Amino acid sequence: MPSVTFEHVSKRFGEVTVVEDFDLQVADGELLVLVGGSGSGKSTILRMLAGLETVTTGKIWIDDRDVTPLPPRDRDVAMVFQDYGLYPHMTVRENLSLGLRLRKVPRDEIERRVTWAAGMLRLEPLLERRPKQLSGGQRQRVAMGRAMVREPLVFLFDEPLSNLDAGLRAQMRIEIGGLQRRLGTTTVYVTHDQVEAMTLGDRIVVLADGKIQQIGRPIELYLAPVNRFVAGFIGTPSMNFVDGRLQTDDGALAFMTEGARVKLPGKLLPSENESASVTLGIRPEDLNVDFAANGTPNSDDALLGKIVLVERLGGTSHIHFEVGPHRLMASVSADSLPDVGDTITIQVPAERVHLFGSDGRALS
Amino acid sequence: MKTFRRVALYAGLTIAAITFIYPFLWMASATFKPPIEVGSLSLIPNHITFDNYRTMWARAPFGRALLNSAFVATTITLAVLLFGSMTAYAMARLSFRGRPVLNAATIAVLLVPGQLTLIPLYTLIVQLGWIDTYAALIVPYLFNATAILMLRQFFLQIPQSLIDSARMDGMGELRILFTIFWPLSKPVLSIVAIFTFMGSWNEVLWPLLVVRDQHLMTLPQLLTVFALGGGAGTIGVSLASAMVLVVPVVIAYAFLQRNFIESMAGAGIKG
Amino acid sequence: MRAEERSGSLLTAPYAAFLLIFAVYPIAFALALVFMQWDLVTTPSFAGFDNVRLLANDGRFWRAVANTFVFLSIHVPLQIASALALALALNRRLVLRGFWRASFFLPVVISGAVVAILWSHLYATDVGLINRLLARIGLNPVPWLTDPATAMPAIAVMVTWKNVGFYVIIYLAGLQYIPRSCQEAIEIEGASAWQRFRYLTLPSLLPQTLLVVTLSTINGFQLFIEPYVMTGGGPLRRTYSVVLYLYTNAFAYQKMGYAATIGVALALIIGTVVLIQRRTIGRTEAL
Repeated sequence: MPSVTFEHVSKRFGEVTVVEDFDLQVADGELLVLVGGSGSGKSTILRMLAGLETVTTGKIWIDDRDVTPLPPRDRDVAMVFQDYGLYPHMTVRENLSLGLRLRKVPRDEIERRVTWAAGMLRLEPLLERRPKQLSGGQRQRVAMGRAMVREPLVFLFDEPLSNLDAGLRAQMRIEIGGLQRRLGTTTVYVTHDQVEAMTLGDRIVVLADGKIQQIGRPIELYLAPVNRFVAGFIGTPSMNFVDGRLQTDDGALAFMTEGARVKLPGKLLPSENESASVTLGIRPEDLNVDFAANGTPNSDDALLGKIVLVERLGGTSHIHFEVGPHRLMASVSADSLPDVGDTITIQVPAERVHLFGSDGRALS
Repeated sequence: MKTFRRVALYAGLTIAAITFIYPFLWMASATFKPPIEVGSLSLIPNHITFDNYRTMWARAPFGRALLNSAFVATTITLAVLLFGSMTAYAMARLSFRGRPVLNAATIAVLLVPGQLTLIPLYTLIVQLGWIDTYAALIVPYLFNATAILMLRQFFLQIPQSLIDSARMDGMGELRILFTIFWPLSKPVLSIVAIFTFMGSWNEVLWPLLVVRDQHLMTLPQLLTVFALGGGAGTIGVSLASAMVLVVPVVIAYAFLQRNFIESMAGAGIKG
Repeated sequence: MRAEERSGSLLTAPYAAFLLIFAVYPIAFALALVFMQWDLVTTPSFAGFDNVRLLANDGRFWRAVANTFVFLSIHVPLQIASALALALALNRRLVLRGFWRASFFLPVVISGAVVAILWSHLYATDVGLINRLLARIGLNPVPWLTDPATAMPAIAVMVTWKNVGFYVIIYLAGLQYIPRSCQEAIEIEGASAWQRFRYLTLPSLLPQTLLVVTLSTINGFQLFIEPYVMTGGGPLRRTYSVVLYLYTNAFAYQKMGYAATIGVALALIIGTVVLIQRRTIGRTEAL
């Protein structure tokens, strides 16, 4: 039985539509990530699920209850906020137990749950401290403990790691993922960081301008983005994009742009316009780079590029190069790298190429 | 349910607002009522009369008192702004040997209740022969510790680079203060101006101590003396005299209420 | 820097002189006056601890102190409750929010003398507005300012009315500091409106409440114009305030030494009370 259902939910503030026709089912025990830039509507959707925002049209169901008209306190959800929202005048123990105390849970049960959550999150030595005496990571864990202790139907996370430094973020990511798998509670997780989304999510929803761009498992989004936005958003470093046209060249399909020509498999469908403008996308890690450059390209899908920048990151390195007026990047792992100004040969594997029409949608 | 809550809230707010405004409205209308009508609750008099004002004006020098108050309050405010900012500038941006002592002394002064120093100040005025002079009303207020602290706090935040480039241009300290700091300090200067002016305008205990001559009395002082001394006779007349004190303030407040609130609340918290 | 040293000293010299003459000297002289008798006309004479002894046994003085405590016991709780209630009401998106706030703050800017005169007419037993309103709803008139039991409470209510706007601003500022996420968190955790107030809002406002208590206590001890105008200290000396007594001793009786002693005693009392308040209420916050 699906745990959370969004039924054609939309949110308007006066004239502005912030969320448009959000329709989705979250499976029981799933960790669903809502990812997008600011203004994409992801936080609004989470807050509508929490009950902190009203729904303009549509319904929200938790299990088989229509929670749309209910206030937050009646929905049996728990939320972890970006700035943690810990009660500054209470100790960690009091922070953890307040929700249970408000609901008149018997004292020994409260004690049991607090001990359990504190154990799982390594909070035991901190129980009598106050939030201002804790580090960011510790506060983060208290916020999670507070949510866990209530044993809610759904966990809601609103960009919980945004205020932490990079190292701590990576560590907490793993902890949150592990915790969620152990507890098995349905979770909706909002972030703007696609790395978090890719590593944590069972499924990811990519949002832009209040509309769903794509829903799918991380690998699906990576391999088969349905539009240019998702293609550019998912994957680090982000995909290279080149504008150009499709052309048939004595029976063979090719992508033409100034200074380059890439042969593609397949044929132009009669419904598609020849010489319609398209955008070609290719991930930096999919490009094959040959440091030995010969004067002329020796095959149809090889390009000559002039290096303008080399970023050495240790194991991987990014090579920024120019082909004609276009600037692209390739990711390579190699110990010795060419220098700025050198010429290299780049091979574009046709099967890894993504094509997007002028409307942004992927072409097959 | 939600709308019911809203309605109840606005109803409550309206009742509260009425309790704060109505007494003043009643006071204003009472001053235009003949003695028989004064007790009535209604705000519109049956017979409008200016007698109360005529009597009040004739019986005591209210016009003079108004001028006195205006003169004293304005002088004090200007002095506090001028001398206060000079002092605050030095305390904030110049380093000199006595600075920490001066800082501590300013804070200490704010901790001492005024009643402690009231008598010695009074005897000092007597010994200086300043009873019944403007000097007695003005000089003890030329410097205001709260104002100095506030200005100093603000001046601390002005970037050093502005001062440095001004010094390199050859500007003296006073020049820097008035041509660079002052234009940047408009908000805090207006805050200081308002609470200083209002404090002086409403001050009554000190004038009662040092001024006996009716012609030198400030408005709140004359008003008090008048109301208590039986000179008023009827409620209408005594309220009329109160109106002279209140109306300018209310008019200013109506236009500047945000500044008033910011100023007097802020100063009170610091004090 | 030589020049800076010179400018700094020069610019602050007038202030330093002012402090010496109008702050340091008066404080020192006040302490000295405690041990003197002086009527401003004849030369002051040394009086040892006479003033202190007199003060310790002075019924009128202690009556005035007791009156102040009566005043505070009504004024402070009333001030907290009314300022908090109004601040909570104002702390949301309202139509005409600026108007409501301005109307509550209006009495704050009005002179205390005017408020005292106005309210002495409102409280008047026969023609006073309040008793007239009571008569309209069928209640008997109350002799507010002439009955020893109701006089000080009546003044306490008036002073609360005058100052509430000021404390509303203080509470409003405090309310802004409660993080939105805390408010949302406690809502999600299941708190009713009352529980939200009790577990989050009220504890978060402890520093503001301490400020309200401290300031209104100091204000209470400095009461002067209200009893002076409204009751002259009566009935039966029930509204006699300490500062009123100080003023009378100086102005009417010309007893400077004794008046200064009252001033010093008052300062000590205020200091002690405020310290105790800080310790008891403030301690809860630091925890």
